[in-house]
Amino acid sequence: MFNNLSSFVQKAQQLIDPNLLSSSTNNPSKSSLFRQQFRLPESQSPSQEILAELTLSRHGSTNSVDGSKEDRDRERSQGSRYSGRLFLSEHYMCFSTQGSSFVSTATFASSNSFNGETHGTGPASNGFTLPLSAVRRVERLPSQTNLFALAITTSNGFSSGRPKASDDELQKLTIQLLGSRQQCERFCDALKKGLRSGMKTTDNLRKVVSLCYSEYHLAEDSSKEHKEREPPDTGLGTLFKYPGDARKLRDKAKMRLWKEYLRESGRNACLVRQPTFHKLIRVGLPNRLRGEIWEMSSGSFYLRLQNPDLYTETLAKHSGKPSLAIDEIEKDLNRSLPEYPAYQSEEGIGRLRRVLTAYSWTNEEVGYCQAMNIVVAAILIYMSEEQAFFLLNVLCEQLVPGYYSTTMYGTLLDQKVFESLVEKTMPILWDHLQKSDVQLSVVSLPWFLSLYINSMPLIFAFRVLDVFFLEGPKVLFQMGLAILRINGEELLDAHDDGAFISVLKTYFSRLDESAHPKSENPKLRAVTRFQELMVVAFKEFAGITQQTISDQRAKHKDAVLNNIEHFTKRTSIRNLGPESKKLSANDLGFLYDRFYGVLYDRQQRKLLIEQENDRRAKAGRAKISDIMPQMSDDNAIEVGRVALGSSDTQMDYDAFREFLAGIAPWSLSDNPASPWDKEKQQSYFGNSMRNRSVSLTPWGSGPEPDDHEFMRRLFRQWDSEHQKYLTLQNLVAGFSHVKGTRDIMSNIAYFFDLYDDDGDGKIDRDGILKMSEAFLFLGRKGLDIPELQSSSGTPKKSESTVVLSKDEQFLSAVSSFIKRAFEYADPDSQMNMTMKRQNTADNVTKSMDQFAIGDDDEDDLVDLEESKPVSPVKLKSTAAEAEGEVVKLPPVPSEDKPHTHAANAALDPAKPLFISLPTFRMVILADEVLESFFDTGFANTFLLADSPIPSSASAMASLTTFTNLGRASPATVAQHPGIILPPTKGLRGMLDNIVNDGMRVAHEVRRRMEDAQRELDRASAAGASPDEEDDDDHDEHDEKMSSHMDPDRRSVLSTDRDLLETAEAEGVDSGSGRANSVRGTSLLDEPIGEKKEGEQSAKVVEFER
Amino acid sequence: MADASQGSAPKPSSSVKLVLLGEAAVGKSSLVMRFVNNDFQENKEPTIGAAFLTQKCPLPTRTIKFEIWDTAGQERFASLAPMYYRNASAALVVYDITKPSSLTKAQHWVAELQRQASPGIVIALVGNKLDLATPSTSPEGADEAAEDENDDDEADARKVPTKTAKAYADEDGLLFFETSAKTGENVAEVFTAIANAIPETQLKGTRGSAAARAQEESRVNLSAGRDTMGAKEGCAC
Repeated sequence: MFNNLSSFVQKAQQLIDPNLLSSSTNNPSKSSLFRQQFRLPESQSPSQEILAELTLSRHGSTNSVDGSKEDRDRERSQGSRYSGRLFLSEHYMCFSTQGSSFVSTATFASSNSFNGETHGTGPASNGFTLPLSAVRRVERLPSQTNLFALAITTSNGFSSGRPKASDDELQKLTIQLLGSRQQCERFCDALKKGLRSGMKTTDNLRKVVSLCYSEYHLAEDSSKEHKEREPPDTGLGTLFKYPGDARKLRDKAKMRLWKEYLRESGRNACLVRQPTFHKLIRVGLPNRLRGEIWEMSSGSFYLRLQNPDLYTETLAKHSGKPSLAIDEIEKDLNRSLPEYPAYQSEEGIGRLRRVLTAYSWTNEEVGYCQAMNIVVAAILIYMSEEQAFFLLNVLCEQLVPGYYSTTMYGTLLDQKVFESLVEKTMPILWDHLQKSDVQLSVVSLPWFLSLYINSMPLIFAFRVLDVFFLEGPKVLFQMGLAILRINGEELLDAHDDGAFISVLKTYFSRLDESAHPKSENPKLRAVTRFQELMVVAFKEFAGITQQTISDQRAKHKDAVLNNIEHFTKRTSIRNLGPESKKLSANDLGFLYDRFYGVLYDRQQRKLLIEQENDRRAKAGRAKISDIMPQMSDDNAIEVGRVALGSSDTQMDYDAFREFLAGIAPWSLSDNPASPWDKEKQQSYFGNSMRNRSVSLTPWGSGPEPDDHEFMRRLFRQWDSEHQKYLTLQNLVAGFSHVKGTRDIMSNIAYFFDLYDDDGDGKIDRDGILKMSEAFLFLGRKGLDIPELQSSSGTPKKSESTVVLSKDEQFLSAVSSFIKRAFEYADPDSQMNMTMKRQNTADNVTKSMDQFAIGDDDEDDLVDLEESKPVSPVKLKSTAAEAEGEVVKLPPVPSEDKPHTHAANAALDPAKPLFISLPTFRMVILADEVLESFFDTGFANTFLLADSPIPSSASAMASLTTFTNLGRASPATVAQHPGIILPPTKGLRGMLDNIVNDGMRVAHEVRRRMEDAQRELDRASAAGASPDEEDDDDHDEHDEKMSSHMDPDRRSVLSTDRDLLETAEAEGVDSGSGRANSVRGTSLLDEPIGEKKEGEQSAKVVEFER
Repeated sequence: MADASQGSAPKPSSSVKLVLLGEAAVGKSSLVMRFVNNDFQENKEPTIGAAFLTQKCPLPTRTIKFEIWDTAGQERFASLAPMYYRNASAALVVYDITKPSSLTKAQHWVAELQRQASPGIVIALVGNKLDLATPSTSPEGADEAAEDENDDDEADARKVPTKTAKAYADEDGLLFFETSAKTGENVAEVFTAIANAIPETQLKGTRGSAAARAQEESRVNLSAGRDTMGAKEGCAC
């Protein structure tokens, strides 16, 4: 039923907000693809896009901007020229030769189709990502034709601390816009605007750039005073030596090449990616520049640029605060790359601690996951703490999302993807694995989780990272596949996990050996196994693109998430503690689903509202109404899914109210028409009926819960640790008390405890009144209690239906409860009051009357009397809500003072009184209706998965379970016509008064009953039920609302999609489908023939050409 | 340590898949290290995913070769556990006798195994870090003393009385030991007891070629490719 319901809800939501659709399909939004392609922070989205041609002039020849046409032409032909696409976002201008992954006509919410193989991930093409704050000047070049050419001077070299950069160092990019005049002009206008706002952030840029080693390195020769400057922090390696032999790694030669490249193509923020850039990365980065290039290619630089002080601020803000993550981090500090000398020192350990701690605070959902310590320890060798912190951010949130989350869904998902890729590319090996019952992921999981750092010798792992940060997660897959391919034959001989692992371990330990030790050819002999691995990974598995990975992830995602959720639910329910055993497995499952369902819904709603507000704010600012598609970000809609590890686990009071609203009809508000924020109304539900003030948390599409004192008490009672929120365990323990026990005595005691505020076993006058108030509250939507045919206290009315008489019985029971409670209450002082009572029935009325009179010397009484005309209204909405009415009470003899002395004494605030548990029990058991209420009635007001407990108190099978209308019940809640005062105000206002004046409450209770009676009489006299007509629109409304109500949206994980799994994924290069044993010598020629891999001297130099 | 009888006439040998589960830092990896290499390391790298090791355990009539999956203890790795306990015929559920919460976690693992793992899996509940308890407390017979001492003697770091854990183990039909990976106390006993508890019928024969077997027998650690421990691998078997 819930599945149907929730799928219906989903459909409804999709109608409301088509953006939500994109989350269920494979199409991320255009702006998220854009951000991924250029590795930009969340705040950026593309506003302009145009075809363009980039010309890079060689340095030293840029001084002839206004020279002759020939000069310029010559100049341009000298430099490199790239054609591609130019984008403009809020703070960046980006250029890429590779087609973007979205078609230009894509809506901003969702790109309908992809092209380009990056699938939006990674700046693997030529181009640049230029912060607008780094642009110093833009000139429009004169041109005879209609060509629109811009000369852009960047701040390259300006921030090195000297007043003026030499002409030599000026970086000029010439960009020719290839579009209609109109397009070009629009672009230029937007650029102007962007540049103006970019001015504000130049300070940030200067700060950020000053930490880049390139800035220091390139300035080295040209300025003398520069020598005195401290070089920026390039990681622990400067202090503790970088891993590997620098000479063998040809670090100096690489450094020279990079210096030349950076001089020519711009450094750090102004870096232009040209083919040499990619080659230089493939041969391995030099030690001192490694951190910076990682930062540039992963995009963490841009994150740092956005908020340069985030790291230090985060640490300062949380300094000294304890957390679970910190405990876990401490455990592992001594165990992270322990063989690297820095991590045997306080310096290294300290840096590691600070970076991990700072991250755990910025992303508390992830906190700390083992393996992060290893990754961070590794990157800290090459990066400053700040750089490492931002890189960790990009890593966890963009590059390998979900790897380190609390459910590690990303890890599990990528293992599935990896397995399916192995199956596709190496079917023979895959069959062998299946036959030998070897589970691949037990081997490959640590590869991915620690980015090979823990599997390969460090120097090689860093080479993998070099490429990984530039080209994205597909690199992990390519490496993994290549490892299996290279070891294919040995693996085919391995028949169990142990042998399998052993083969690979041996392989990793020999990566530095020659791949062809026996070859005649010395060049061939010089090729190491690692070089061979790189070639296989990036040549043979070139067909594995980001698109492949994305497709595969989409295909397996649901199954993986479902698995995790299944596992989580199973363990979570099992571990709920001994109390949970009192509830059935069905009920536990139901509570679990409902608990997380409510939290999930609330999280979603909050997100939507935030996004909507955000969107509005932005739209207001930017006046571009059709952009800002934040809403459809890749996984936005799924935030909060249990399997993603980002779900709330704590239920606050409002969530608790919403929770109750789904299972207990009495918890629904009688007056859901509270004001509803206009914005929300328009954007989400378009429902004019709901208007709600902004300050209130909206209830989404579900019915609005009430906010009765009883609910607050229940919440407080269940919140056993006084944390102001409930965990699932609290909730289940709570339910096990009300629903899990069949023992009426303990039920009564539990209810008593609920009202025994100070836990002294006594409930005072206020408490008694509040209890009776709660009875009425609980009973106002009807109760599942057996009808007592023989009940003497109930006046029979011919018009009364069964329901009516049941409610009458209940009301009468409550009123006699008040009377009896007061009657048998013990004085809380020496004064002993003995009151003689003739028979209960008489006393009922008398004491009720007396309550009123005892108060008559108070001013308030006057008010109450005066308010008499309106009180029928109040009554309707509260006590009399259930349409039925009440004990027949005689008219109030308001001057009947003499008879009321005793009662007055009982009610005199100066003479405190209390009832104890035994008294309370006695009073309850004295009344059949209340007895039944405590036996099963109350428990049955909560509708869980199992059917209500049959009443044991009554053998009569007359259970009219009219409360059990389930989810539809909100719709049946009747509203009486002519309500003027908000009824909840009557209840709540009264509760407030109780604090000050119990007497007045008693009076009011009595009055309401009396009024209810009157109203009832009037209604029945009219012989019609005027309610129904007026209720219609409410009903409709409520029905709509309740159909939106979604107890378990998460369960709509389309298991249907499993069907798709049989379909093969697209996009794998057909060439890589060869059987694994076919790896012949032809492969081995590649490194030589193509000179891709360059540990050999000749190759490194070759890039200069 | 375990292969004194290796030289004698070949006995039937069979493999047993064993998985270690338990809260983080209770000493799972250390127990395995003690059993496999008879070694103890103060700062061990945390296990990522799982580590795989093998060790033989000679019994009078046969030799059991344990294929040991040592899993990561951090809570969030729990969802990976099914991958490792799949097909396991024995499990070591470890807690730390100085940390009551770790026993609770251990009970959760036992429940998980009993419902989800292969039927008939032999489970041993192991309270580790016995070296931190007052030495006078022997694992057997001194239960009362242990409890008393807990109450009045603060020097004793033990927080989980033997009796409590034993009672729970008995109730659930688990083997029960208290061990110290640091001193080696009771470690071999645990594995021997498990080996004995595994019914003959459940044993699978040795798999793989001779070459593969030779390789298998060295200590293999998934998470240590770069391996500082490589040097210590010289297991006798």
